Amino acid sequence: MRSELSLEPSPGGTERRAPSPTALLSIVAIVGLALFAWETIVKVREIPVYLLPAPSIVANSLVRNAGRYLSATGMTSLEALFGLTLGITVGTLVAIVITFWCGLERGVLALAILIKATPIVAIVPLLIIWFGFGPVPKITVIALMTFFPILVNVHAGLNSTDSALLDLFHSLNAGRWERFRYAQWPSALPYLFAALKVAGPLSLVGAVVAEWAGASNGLGRVMWLAYSNLDMPSLFAAVFCSALMGIGLYGLVIAAERRVIFWR
Amino acid sequence: MHIDLQAISKTFTDTPRPLAALAPTTLEITSGEFVSFIGPSGCGKSTLLRMIADQIPPSTGTLLLDGGPPSEARSHKKIAWMAQNPALLPWRTVLANVALPRHVNRVHQQPAPPPQTLLETVELENFAGAYPATLSGGMQQRVALARALATGASLWLMDEPFAALDELTRERLTDEVLGLWRTFKPTVLWVTHNVIEAARMADRVVVMTSSPGNIRGVVEIDLPRPRDETAPAMAHLIRRLRELLRT
Repeated sequence: MRSELSLEPSPGGTERRAPSPTALLSIVAIVGLALFAWETIVKVREIPVYLLPAPSIVANSLVRNAGRYLSATGMTSLEALFGLTLGITVGTLVAIVITFWCGLERGVLALAILIKATPIVAIVPLLIIWFGFGPVPKITVIALMTFFPILVNVHAGLNSTDSALLDLFHSLNAGRWERFRYAQWPSALPYLFAALKVAGPLSLVGAVVAEWAGASNGLGRVMWLAYSNLDMPSLFAAVFCSALMGIGLYGLVIAAERRVIFWR
Repeated sequence: MHIDLQAISKTFTDTPRPLAALAPTTLEITSGEFVSFIGPSGCGKSTLLRMIADQIPPSTGTLLLDGGPPSEARSHKKIAWMAQNPALLPWRTVLANVALPRHVNRVHQQPAPPPQTLLETVELENFAGAYPATLSGGMQQRVALARALATGASLWLMDEPFAALDELTRERLTDEVLGLWRTFKPTVLWVTHNVIEAARMADRVVVMTSSPGNIRGVVEIDLPRPRDETAPAMAHLIRRLRELLRT
């Protein structure tokens, strides 16, 4: 009975509970061990700092320039959030439109795949020529990168509504909007969150890539400068910041999913 | 609701080869009657029910519900549909599920008891705030039953609603349906695989056979309820139903 009712989105499952103390301990132990191994190898093999800095040097750089990294991280996460919001909005709206007007489906999906297949890296400079060094080209890039998984998944979710539910709404002669609101949209929510788990980290990649091509602030800018000056501790510190953001964003998605899809 | 089927048939043409699901069938059902449809898989009983529910159009013939087309009855929420899948919305509470028919298609409302009263009718008033996933299969079907009552429909189309339940639960629920039928006096079309269940419940049992589906015979069951299937008169009728199914 339960399996008939529960809605399984195609990609991946979700961890239901927060990590237990033992799980946290294992995470800390494994990460700590990896860092220790890294530190030891760099020290023993005497690897020069412009090739691979030891974690202690990276940590030092993080602490000394905390203000710079904080401001860069703030900038990048703001861009990522705005771009992701735009991507979610456009992807979801387009999915709804092509579900209501099936005739548009093929054409719109072809166009979406075309955009998806375009190497975004190649058009970033063009966007910067159009919109300047501000946040607009970054948000555009992120939206372009994230709307596709949202569109495809929400579209699949809207079409996955249990046929027994559709029979019920048909028997009540429910309108299209009523059927959408009461049955199709909630059925699509698990799919939306499955897509967000992909699109969330993707939005950070998009932000960094866009900043790389030209920006006044942000982690991508910090990384680009670090490469120009062969300042590897700074590069690794920026990578660390973006990884931390990725974990935070993923956690946010999981927390939101647990609240929104409470019935699973 | 009065049902008049005049030589309706169904041939599915969207299959690789045209599939005759139901040969021309004529049947009249009077208002307030309880009719069971029984037969093997593929005998067209579900197809027949789906045509009456206005889910699929008949290929030939006319189908009248209270003298009008089934689309009219459906748009006025005069048809309650129940199938094996209780089709509850997992994100709505039990009470909100029962209230659903009042919230959709608001233009047409049939008089019906309020959702809270209906939950008491199916003895689930203590589960009003629960979510469907926390209920057993039998309780979920009782919610679906209450929701069907909330439409205020005068025609109940029931396509093996309790087939997935265990036998004890099924027997109790069929008794509940009989009780509700006596209270609300709808016309009930009840599709089942179970000969004894058909005989215990219906005023008339329509026996169908397959390829193509058609009516083999109609057996009147003019016995007082509750019926005991071991009583001689019942045993005799059940034997006749089995013979019809075998030929």
